[in-house]
Amino acid sequence: MKKKAVSILLATAMVVTLAGCGGSDPAPAAEAPAATEEAPAAAEEAEAPAAAEEEAPAAEAPAADGELAYSGDISIMHFSTSEESEGNGGSDGFRTCLANWQDAHGNITLNEEVLANDDYKTQIATRAAADDLPDVFLLQGMNTISWSDQGLVYDLTDAIKNSPYADQYNMDYLVPFTAGGKYYAYPALTGGTCTVVIYDEAMWKEAGFDSFPTTWADVEKAAEYFSGQGIDTIAFGNSGQWQLNSCFVSCLGYQYTGTQWFSDIIAGTGNFEDPNFVAALTETQRLFHDTNIFNTDFNAISNEDAREYYISGEAAAFIGGNWDASYIQANLEGDPKKDTTKFAVLPQAADATKYENFQNIGLGYGMAISAKAASDPDKLAACIDLCQYLTGPAFSEFVGANYALAGFCSSDVDLSAFDQYTQDFYNFSYVDNKGCEIYDSYVDGSVWSVLNTEMQEMVNGDKDPATVAADTQAAYKAYLGQ
Amino acid sequence: MAKEMAMTKVESSSTGTKVKRGILGVIINFALWFFSLTCIFPLIWMLYSSLKTKRVFNADIAGLPKEPTLANYTKILSNKDYHLMESVGNSARTTILSVILIVLIAFVVGYILSRIDFPLNKPLYVMFLMGMLIPIHSLMVPIYIIFSKLGLSDHWYTLLMPYVSFALPMSIFLVEGFVKGIPIELEEAAAIDGSSFSKTLFGIILPVCKPILVTVAIINVFSCWNEFSFALILIKQRALYTVPLGLRQFTGQFSSDYPKIMAAMLMTMAPIVIFYFAFSKQIIKGMVAGAVKG
Amino acid sequence: MLKSIKPKGWVVAAYLAVPVALYVFTVFAPLLAALFYSFFEWKGGPVKTFNGFANYAQLFSDEVFWSSFWHNIFLVIVCIIGQIGLAFIVVLLINSKVTKLQGIHRTFGFFPSTISAVCIGFIWQMIYDSKRGLLNYFLEKIGRGDLKKVWLNEPGLVMLLVSIPLIWQFIGYYMVILLSAVSSISTEVLESAEIDGATGIQRARYIVLPLIKNTLLVCITLCVAGNMKAFDNIYVMTAGGPGYSSMVMAMYGYKVSFEQSNLGYGSCISVGIFILALAVIGGSQLLMNYCMTDRYDREEAKRLKQIEKERQQAIKARKAKA
Repeated sequence: MKKKAVSILLATAMVVTLAGCGGSDPAPAAEAPAATEEAPAAAEEAEAPAAAEEEAPAAEAPAADGELAYSGDISIMHFSTSEESEGNGGSDGFRTCLANWQDAHGNITLNEEVLANDDYKTQIATRAAADDLPDVFLLQGMNTISWSDQGLVYDLTDAIKNSPYADQYNMDYLVPFTAGGKYYAYPALTGGTCTVVIYDEAMWKEAGFDSFPTTWADVEKAAEYFSGQGIDTIAFGNSGQWQLNSCFVSCLGYQYTGTQWFSDIIAGTGNFEDPNFVAALTETQRLFHDTNIFNTDFNAISNEDAREYYISGEAAAFIGGNWDASYIQANLEGDPKKDTTKFAVLPQAADATKYENFQNIGLGYGMAISAKAASDPDKLAACIDLCQYLTGPAFSEFVGANYALAGFCSSDVDLSAFDQYTQDFYNFSYVDNKGCEIYDSYVDGSVWSVLNTEMQEMVNGDKDPATVAADTQAAYKAYLGQ
Repeated sequence: MAKEMAMTKVESSSTGTKVKRGILGVIINFALWFFSLTCIFPLIWMLYSSLKTKRVFNADIAGLPKEPTLANYTKILSNKDYHLMESVGNSARTTILSVILIVLIAFVVGYILSRIDFPLNKPLYVMFLMGMLIPIHSLMVPIYIIFSKLGLSDHWYTLLMPYVSFALPMSIFLVEGFVKGIPIELEEAAAIDGSSFSKTLFGIILPVCKPILVTVAIINVFSCWNEFSFALILIKQRALYTVPLGLRQFTGQFSSDYPKIMAAMLMTMAPIVIFYFAFSKQIIKGMVAGAVKG
Repeated sequence: MLKSIKPKGWVVAAYLAVPVALYVFTVFAPLLAALFYSFFEWKGGPVKTFNGFANYAQLFSDEVFWSSFWHNIFLVIVCIIGQIGLAFIVVLLINSKVTKLQGIHRTFGFFPSTISAVCIGFIWQMIYDSKRGLLNYFLEKIGRGDLKKVWLNEPGLVMLLVSIPLIWQFIGYYMVILLSAVSSISTEVLESAEIDGATGIQRARYIVLPLIKNTLLVCITLCVAGNMKAFDNIYVMTAGGPGYSSMVMAMYGYKVSFEQSNLGYGSCISVGIFILALAVIGGSQLLMNYCMTDRYDREEAKRLKQIEKERQQAIKARKAKA
C-alpha cells in the first residue's frame, strides 16, 4: 500500500509540475489553442481523482537517477521543433516530456537532433543507409518491415509486454510497427484522424443542408449553390502528392473495398488492381476532375494553403487531417466561425457498398531504438525507459488534459473542461466513428511514391485509374520481391 | 585621347543622329530599369510582406501593410531553439574560409591549367569539368557514409571540404578562361627580368586577374552562405549549425505562415545582403577594373 | 601555353597536390561509391545484395527517367538562350554610353543570384498562384481574365514555367561573369570602332563577341552543367508535378533514393545523370567549337589549304618539267 501511496503522490506532483510547466513556459501558454486557459486547472482536476481510483499507478514520474545504471550520452532524433509544437498537442507533449526526463536524469546527456519533418525524413533515411542511426528515433510505420529485416532496429516485443504501463496500452496502435509478429517501436505522439471533413455549419445551412451531406450526390448539389456564390465547396491541397492518399483515398477506399482488402495488402497477398480499389480511384477521379466540388488549384497548393481558403471563407469546407483541425482551431480563436465549424466523415459514394462512417486513424510514428544502442545493456535500459516515458501515461495525461488528445496509453479525458470545438473533435476522432487504417503507415514508400505521383495526374484527368492501379501493383510486386 | 575624340564626333554629328541617339538612350535606360526593378522587387515585396500578419497577407498578397508589425521577427528571435549569433558565427566562418580557399585554389589551378604545358594538363582539366556534373542531391547518402566513416563529419571544418570542392570547377573555369585572354607577353617580359614562377604568379598575374577573382568570390559567398543540403547531412551538433540549417530547424511540419517564412528568409539573407549592398560599389569596381591593356 | 618559360615539374606538382587531392576525395569518392552501390539491390540499410547490371537494365527502360532527361535538355536549351543570351544583351546595354546609373543596374541585376533557391522557388510560387498570384492578378487587370490558369498544374506548360525563375535568377550571374570579361576589352578598341562608324550591333557581333569567346564558352559549359543537374528551384515549386510533368533527373534520383528508399537504383540514376551530362557537355563543346570558330577563320583555313595545294601542284609540275 505504501508503494501505491508514493506513486499517487508522485503522480500528483508530476502532474502539477507538468501543468505548471505548461503555464510558465511562454511558448505553449501563448500559442496553445483553446485549452490554454483551462489547461492547468483541468490537468489537476482530471488527474487527481484518476490517480486515486485506479489500481495501477496512473502516472509515474521519470525514474530517479539511481534506478538507471547508465550514465553518458543518448542521441535522439525527432521532428518536434518548437514551432511545430505550437498548437500541436503531440509535439508539445513530446517536448515537455523529453525535457522532464532529461531533468530527472542528470548523469545522462540527451543529444537532441531536432529537424523539421521533411528534413527529418531525408536525414533518417541517410542515417539508416549508413547504418548509423541515432540511439533513439522516430520510426515511420512504412519502414518497419524493411528496417527490422535489415537488423537496424531493436526488437522491443518483450520490453513492450513487460512495460509497467502495458495494461494501459492501446495495442491496436502497434500494428504498423509489427513485423513477423514482433514489435519494433512504441507508437509515439498522438493518435489522430487523417481524414476529416471540416465544414462551416452556417454556410451549409444557407445551401440547404443542416449538417454535412452524407452522400457525394448531395455534395454535388451543394456545389451548384456554392459555385453560384463564387466560393469553393471543399478546399483540398495535393501539391505534396501524399495528401490525396493519406487524407482522401485511404478513407474513400474503405467504402469500396472493406477492411479485408487492405489487410491482404499488408500481409503481402493483396492486389491493387482489385476492381473495388480501381472503382475507388475512378470515383476519386470523377470527384476531382468531373465535378466542381473542389478548388481548381488543388494540385498546385498544399493542404496548408487549402485550409487558409477555409479559414478566410473562400471555401465552405476543407478535407485534411487532425493537424489541420488543430491549426484551424488555433487560427479561428475569437472568430464566430469557430463555433459553427463542425466535423464530418467523408460522404458515401453512390456505388460503394462496403462500409460507412469510416475515418482513418492511427499513430504514424513510433519510438524505436537502434540495434547498435542495444549492445550495452545499461544504455538499452535507459533508452527503453526514455521511450516508455515519452509514450507512457505522463505523455497521455499531458495531451489529454491540455489538448483532449490520446496517445499510445489510454487516459481519461474530462471533456467538460474544453470548448465545443475540442469536444466535437474528440468525439469525432475517438467516439463517434469507426477507425480504419492509414494506408501509408504500412507497406513501403516505394509503393506509395508511385501511387501518389500517378494519382496526381489521374485527378487532372491525364491518366486512367486502371493504369494507376496497374503501375502501383507493379511497384508492390517489386517491393515484395516477386 | 580617344574618348574625347569620340565625344567631339558625337557632338559634331547631325541633329538627326542626335535625336535618334536620344530616343535610343531612353529606350535602353527604360529597358534596364525594367530589368533592375524586376530583380529587386522580390526583396522589397518580402520586406514589407514580412511586416504583415498572416491574415492580412492572405487577404492581399501584393498590397502594402496598413499596420506594419515586427511580430514575425520578435517571434523568431525569441525562439529558444534558435541560436542566432552562434549560427551567424558559424556561417560567417565557413563562408569566409571557403571563399578564401576557393579564390586561392581556383587562381593557382586555373592559371596552371591555362598556361603550363605538362602531361596531366588535359586530364586534370577534364576532371575538373566532370566535377560540375555531379548531382549532389542524389549522392547525399554516399557523401554521408564517406564522411562519417572517416570521422570527418560534424567538425568546424567539415563543410569547408564540400563547399570548396564543389565550387572549384566553376571557379577554375572562369579563371582559366580569363587567363587565356591575358597577353602572354606579360609573363615573358617578367621571365626576361628574371622573375621566378611563383613571383610572376602572385606578383604580376594576380593583380591582372583581380576582376575575375572578385567575381569568383562574389558568386561563391552567396552560394556558401545559402547552402543547405550538405549542412543538413554533415552537421549534427547544434553548436555547428549554419544559418539556413538553424532557421529550418524550427519551421514546423505543417507551417504555412508565409510572412513569417519571409521574415525568416530575410533574416537568413540579411547579413550577406547588407554586406552586398554596402560594398556593391567596391565589388563592382573590383569586377570591372584592372582591365588588361592590349 | 607558355613556351618561353617553363616552371619545374615539382613546382607545378606542389601547387596542384593539395587542391587535387581535396577535390578528388570530396567530389569523386562519393561518385565512385555510387558507382559501386549501383550494382546492388540496396533498400537503405546495411544489407546490400549484388545484382549485376539489373539496375542499369531498369534504367534503360525507365520511361520516367528518360522523360526527365528530355526535360533537362529542354532546360539546357531554354536557359542558354534565356540566361546567357539575355545576360549578354544586358551587359551591352549597361556598357552603352547612353546608360545612366550603370552601377545601380549592375548591383540590382545580380541580386536574384544572391538569394537561395528555396526563396526563389517560393517567390515564384506566389507569382503563379492561381487565386492570389500576381500573374493572374495582372491578366485580370488587363481584361484577359479568360487566360487565367492554375499555372503549375498545366502539364504542357509547367516546364516552361519552372524555367522562367531559373532564367530570371541567373541572368545576373552570367551578367557579372560577362561584365568582367568585357571589362578586359580595352575601351580604345571599342571607341576606334565607333569612330569607324560601326553600329552598336556590329560592334557587339564583330568586336565584343570574338574577344570574350573564351568566357562565353565557359558560361555555356556552366549553363549546361548546371541545368543537367537542376534540382532546388523545381523541387520547391512543383516537386516534379503534376505527376512527372516537371520531373528532372536529379529530382528523380532523389525521389527514388529517399521517398522509395531504393538506394541501389538511386545510385544507378546518379551514375546515369553523370554519364549523360558528360555526353551532353561533350556534344555541346564540339558544337560550340564549330560555331565559335569564325567563318573568316574557316575560310582562311580553306584558302591556306588551297594555296598549299596549288603550291604542291606547282612543285609537281616543276618536277615534271625537269
